[in-house]
This record gives sequence, C-alpha cells and structure tokens, in this order.
Amino acid sequence: MKPFVFKRTLSGIPTLFGMTLIGFLIIGLTPGDPIEMELRRLGVSFTAEQVEALRVEYGLDKPLIQRYFIWLLDLFRLDLGTSIASGRPVLELFKEHLPITATLSVLAFVSSLALSLVLGTVTAVSQRTSVSTSLYVLTMFLVSVPSFWLALFLLAVFALGLGWFKLLHFGNAQDLILPVITLTLGNAAVMSRLVRERIIAVMSEDYIRLAITKGLSRRTILGRHVLKSILPPLITNWAISFGSLLGGSVIIENIFNLPGLGQLALQAIAERDFAILQAYLLFMGLVFFLANFAADLTNHWLMPQLKEDDHGVR
Amino acid sequence: MAYVDSAKSIPLSRATQLLRGRTTFFLGGLFLCFFIVLAIGGEAFAPNPPNQIDLLHRLSAPNLTYPLGTDHLGRCILSRLMTGTALSLGTALTTAGLILAIALPVGLLSALCKGWVDAVLMRIADIFLAFPMLVFALAIIGYLGASLTSAVIGVALAWWPSLARLVRTLTLEAASKEYVLASRQCGQKPLSIIGRHILPQILPPLLVVLSLEMAGLLLVLSSLSFLGLGAQPPAAEWGAMLNEARPFFAERPSVVLAPGIVIILAVLSFNLVGEGIRFQLDKRRPYRW
Repeated sequence: MKPFVFKRTLSGIPTLFGMTLIGFLIIGLTPGDPIEMELRRLGVSFTAEQVEALRVEYGLDKPLIQRYFIWLLDLFRLDLGTSIASGRPVLELFKEHLPITATLSVLAFVSSLALSLVLGTVTAVSQRTSVSTSLYVLTMFLVSVPSFWLALFLLAVFALGLGWFKLLHFGNAQDLILPVITLTLGNAAVMSRLVRERIIAVMSEDYIRLAITKGLSRRTILGRHVLKSILPPLITNWAISFGSLLGGSVIIENIFNLPGLGQLALQAIAERDFAILQAYLLFMGLVFFLANFAADLTNHWLMPQLKEDDHGVR
Repeated sequence: MAYVDSAKSIPLSRATQLLRGRTTFFLGGLFLCFFIVLAIGGEAFAPNPPNQIDLLHRLSAPNLTYPLGTDHLGRCILSRLMTGTALSLGTALTTAGLILAIALPVGLLSALCKGWVDAVLMRIADIFLAFPMLVFALAIIGYLGASLTSAVIGVALAWWPSLARLVRTLTLEAASKEYVLASRQCGQKPLSIIGRHILPQILPPLLVVLSLEMAGLLLVLSSLSFLGLGAQPPAAEWGAMLNEARPFFAERPSVVLAPGIVIILAVLSFNLVGEGIRFQLDKRRPYRW
C-alpha cells in the first residue's frame, strides 16, 4: 500500500503543476487589459498614468514567467488575489460561496450513488419484467433530459403547481431539496447505466454460471461475486461523476438562484473577473484531482493486484 | 470451433431482445431523420417567420396561427424551434468536428511516434482531463467572452483528451497488424501508411463513438446557451430560447418547457441510435433470473 501511495502521489505532481500552469495562462494571456476594461465598465474617466499605477499595483507589468512564479508562491500561501470587480479577496468570496456548492454536490453524490446502484442492479438482473423495463426506459429518458429542463419542470410542478416550495428563494435547508433532487436524478441515471453495463458483463462470465449451477443464492452471488468485481471500475467512475456534479451544480445554482461557487463563477464570466474564474478553475480541478486520487487508493486497497491502468475508464 | 446459430434455435426471449435493439435503433433513426429534414428545410416548413414580432399576442396559448403559442415578444415558438434545428444541431456537429480535428492528429502522433512525444502528449491530455469538463469549458468561455464560438471552442478543448486517448489505443492496435508492419518494411512512407492502412481501420469505430458523443455535446452546448454563455438572443438556438423565456416562467411555464422537449427528443434520438448499435454489437449472454 505504502509504495503505491508514494508512487501515485509522485505521478500526480506533474499533473498538478500543469493544472496551475493552465489556470495561470487563462488569466495571464487575457485578451485586452483587464484594468482598462474594468475602469471602462465602471464608467470612470482615467488617465494612462492611473492605469499604469494600477497595473503596477496588481503586478501586471512584469513578464509572464515572473508573474507565474509570484502567483504560484501566492497560491501556496492561499493568497488567491483580489477580485477586480468587487475589490474583495477571492478567498473570502470563496469561503462565503463554498458551503452551498459543497452541500449540494455531496448530498447529490451520495443519493445518486445509492439510487444508481439500485436502478442499475434491477435493470441488469431482471431484464424482462415490466418493472425493470419501465425503469430502463426511465433512465434512458433521464439521461437525455438537460438538467436545466428537469429543474424547471420540477419547479413548475412542485413550486408553481403544488406550491410546496418557493420560487427562486434561498433561505433555509428546505430550499436545497429540489436542487439536490434535480442533480441526483440526472446523475443517478448516467451512473446506473454503467452499473447495469458492468453487472451484465460480470453475469456473462463462466464463474457466475458455475456459482448459479452450484445453487448459491442470489444474494450470495450478487453480494459476494458480482459486487466485488464491479466495484473497481465503478469507484473510478464515481470520482468522474463527482467531477460532473461539481460542473453541473453551476446550472442548478443558476436556476434555483443559490449563492454557490457556480453563481460566483458565472458572475465572474459576465464581469470578466479573471481572479475569481482562475480560482474557481483551480479549486474545482483540485477537488476533482483529489477525488480521482481517493478512487485510485480505494481501488488499490480493495484489489492490490490490479494494475494502475487497468481501470482507467472515462 | 465453428459455432453457427441457426435461426430456428434462437429462443423467443432472445428474438424479442433483438427486436428491442432494432426498435430503439429504428426509433432513434426515425427521429434523427426528422431532425435532419427540419435542419435542412426548417425555414420552409415554419408556419410563421421565426423573428416576426407580434406584440398583440404576447405569451399566447397555442392556437391555429401559432400552433405552440408565442413567446414574450409574440414570436411563434414552433417556427423558432423549427428554424433553430439547423443552428442547434449544426453547433453540436461543428464541435464534434473540432474535437476530431484535435484528437485525431494528437492520438496518431502519440501512438506512432511513441517515446517522448507520446509521453508529452499524453501528459498534456492528462492535465486537460484533470479538470471537470464543464468547469474547464466555463473557464475557456470566461477567457474568450460569452459567445457561441467560444462555447464551441470551450467544449472542444474540454472534450478532446478522452477522444485522443481512444485514437491512440485504436491506432496502436491498428499499427500492430502484420500487413501494416509488412508495408513498413517494404519502405512505404509513414503518411501513406496512415492514409492507406491506419485511417481506414480506426475511422469507423471512431465515428461511431463520436456520433454517440453527439448526445452529450447537444446537452452541454444547450446548457451553455441556457446559461447565456453560448448562442446569444435573438438566435433561435434551443437552449438560448429557454434562457430568453426564463423571466416569464412563473407566468407561463409552457413557454419555457416547450423548447426543452425538442432538446430532449434530439438527445434521446442520438441515445437511442447509440443504444441500438450497442445492442447489436453485444454478443454477451448474461445469466438472468
């Protein structure tokens, strides 16, 4: 286990380094001068000297390479810079907006995990019953539904129609119910298709036939044989779907008007506030990186005989 | 061992399965043809001009002149949906083309040059893969400024690495075939080996995968337009139409939901075709209770 952890950490370092480079370039190669653009947006009259002074203040006058290393050092000190639009430190803004996104993604992740295992198993194991067929059609439909449409549909039914929830309102935990349900349904449908696919693959193996011929009970076969061999690819996939939840929460936060990181990023795009955008990209990348890392470690712990590349499914 | 499955020996259950695979394929194909016809002749079939504003009939219910009702500016929703087909599907197709244009050379180079070229290219792909796809696309769009072009570029940049890896795997397999080795030993030029022997092997599976990815591309691109980051109003892109109608959601939910159903149908048809193909290729016979 230990050498594996070491090796995996070591191989992750260049990736992390590359991620910071991409994150930096997105701001470093900005088309147009962000300071001038911001001043123009605010409608303030300015002179060339004032712009130059601000450029020096934000460190935009130095060469790109030098700026990268200064920026990297700041990053290690958790100094993410200042938002040009609001003048507040990015870290502060992040601390404000993170809880919503974190709650949303973690809740949706856990519930879609449970739901996808049930859906996938039922649709794979009993293929010709009416229940599994209708579930299969349902997942097929859910996979094809854009999350924003599903969110609006749920809002139309439960908020406008039945009046159970308030429209575009965020105040307490209750307002997170519909967003979590929306994220869960879409994600569970995607995940359940892989569960189904893996179970069908395993159930076609000879050793399962043998187990059935031996007269083992369904529960033993599913629990001991099937689950064990479908887990590694699923765990890899779970990390990836956590990443897509992080991305997907942008859409959901936007529709339900939740003050999360996604909303912050969208606002940053509109205001061309690159410090926030950069921090958003890097933070999400880091979380996704850690999720993949955790998945690899779990897989190694479950099945040390698996090679690193054997389950690189995407 | 030669094993021939005669038609008579196929059990009934298997026959229905085959039918199911075919039906999904057929159904999806039918929808797709419908959409392609709409994309080509959308303007001609539309009952009203798509951008004709009729302020007297704002947000009206479906009627004879406006079969699906009108939006907040009194424009015919059905006509807009029909004329928007070309833009929505065309955008997804362009993105797919762009992805292929990046992934194909990278994958080929990586597989054929091996060594450090392979290592560097795959490292770069890894770095791109290290970000959640939509988050990366958002960052690129933020960098370029919100427009349909930047949405296409953003999605393509977020999407190419997984396909490049596939190209690499397929090429490695294709290049190890004995006749490819033979033609190399005969002194054929690398480029002509790629054109004559490798591309014909890898393109069919690649195009199948890419057409399956169309469903995902449609979803992502319409989501971006919905967020106001892709197609901009008054373009009749499906996602952008939903975005434009959002302020009137509480007033008339159907104005927002109707364009969405077209997106669902389009994505579904790609998914159905993909499912049908997969079903036909699936030779496994899992045990079922």
